[in-house]
Amino acid sequence: MSAVGATLNVNGRPISLAEVPDDERLLDTLRWRLHLRGTKEGCRSGGCGACTVLIDGRPTLSCLTLTRELEGRGVTTIEGAPDLPAGRVVISAFETEGAVQCGYCTPGFVMALTGLLGRTPPDRRSPERLLRELQGNLCRCTGYAAIARAVERAHREAP
Amino acid sequence: MGSFELVTPASEEEAIAWLARAPGGEAAVLAGGTDLLNDIEEHRITPRHLLSLRRLPWNRWNWIGPALEVGSTTPLVDLEYDPKVRAQFPGLVTAIEAVGSVALRSRATLGGNLGRSGSASDLIPLLLALDASAEIVGPKGVRTTPVDTLVVASRRPALGAGELIRSVRLPEPRPSAYLWQRIRPAQDVSHVGVAVAWSPADGRWRIAVGGVPPRAIRIHPEAAELPPRPSSPEREAAARRAAELLPLSTDLRATGEYRRHVVHALVLRAVGSVTAMREGSA
Repeated sequence: MSAVGATLNVNGRPISLAEVPDDERLLDTLRWRLHLRGTKEGCRSGGCGACTVLIDGRPTLSCLTLTRELEGRGVTTIEGAPDLPAGRVVISAFETEGAVQCGYCTPGFVMALTGLLGRTPPDRRSPERLLRELQGNLCRCTGYAAIARAVERAHREAP
Repeated sequence: MGSFELVTPASEEEAIAWLARAPGGEAAVLAGGTDLLNDIEEHRITPRHLLSLRRLPWNRWNWIGPALEVGSTTPLVDLEYDPKVRAQFPGLVTAIEAVGSVALRSRATLGGNLGRSGSASDLIPLLLALDASAEIVGPKGVRTTPVDTLVVASRRPALGAGELIRSVRLPEPRPSAYLWQRIRPAQDVSHVGVAVAWSPADGRWRIAVGGVPPRAIRIHPEAAELPPRPSSPEREAAARRAAELLPLSTDLRATGEYRRHVVHALVLRAVGSVTAMREGSA
């Protein structure tokens, strides 16, 4: 296993990482190397959405992404969400609707919804479509009713 | 996860030369990695090297006349969000939406799905119904092969030593539909997937079925013999023939008999839906 450096932009800051093993996943780089513990590890196999971050603005599973494959790319985690206009709307909608129960799935939902709102032009968005696109995010508390209300609110209030 | 070394060639030639020299079984090709990395994590495979395609300019698509040529490392989500792709290949976009989740599809690629050749792939049946072909590069140059020939069985594409899938070509836009049956709508594996397309070029229908081991199959042409705008009894007859003619296997997801019932229902609906699309555009 070789281990060389990697340069990424994380939450708007360029970061040089030394000695990144080839098999290191972005999820582990964020949590253990950069101490950004807001991104959660759920199933670690692409089935739950808890580890969702934005890569160049797109919702992406950090558990299935090798850090060295992201050379030069931009990563936004839940810690960087308040810096994005859509991120602020989504966070506020989750708070207002009480869409957080144990909170473990929340960063994944917030990042996925932030990325979807940022990506889809307003005239092609609908609450139904957003909910369908959030099917990859699981909430084991099954607090989906409040999450669905937060999605509808974020859709109404999004820039 | 077992350790491996990542190889990131900057050119196609370098990639082919490296892969052709790699000892058999020790190298795996990394496109998006959404399937491959799980197999490695679960120790189903233990490659010592992963050949990453990320630096190759294969992550975009071109329209060549009516045909769509999709670079093999194009993330599925890019195709899904493109209005023209959605309008010209509606069934393809539906099939893409059946793969994992949005956040998975930002990594997952068309070439990766084809290269892994999963028997439950949601994309392969649609590629068969569109008569898609793959452009393959290797030590002996470039060749083009129908997807039908490339897909042999799960994890076993018909690729020679040092060969890579460079792009996938969809020859003509076709009214098309993809319908699946699963236990849960999201994040599940289809135990049956039915793709239906109608070709404006030859006026004939294509029907393919996925979710069935060992690989997705094109339905017998006899079952797909239908007029351009089939009546309800004609659709029913085609669905019955399709279900009867298919060799459907039993595995841990479903029995062959159950799959037969589902194929009948889904072919009926999918032909109906493509017929409606054609009437809408007439």
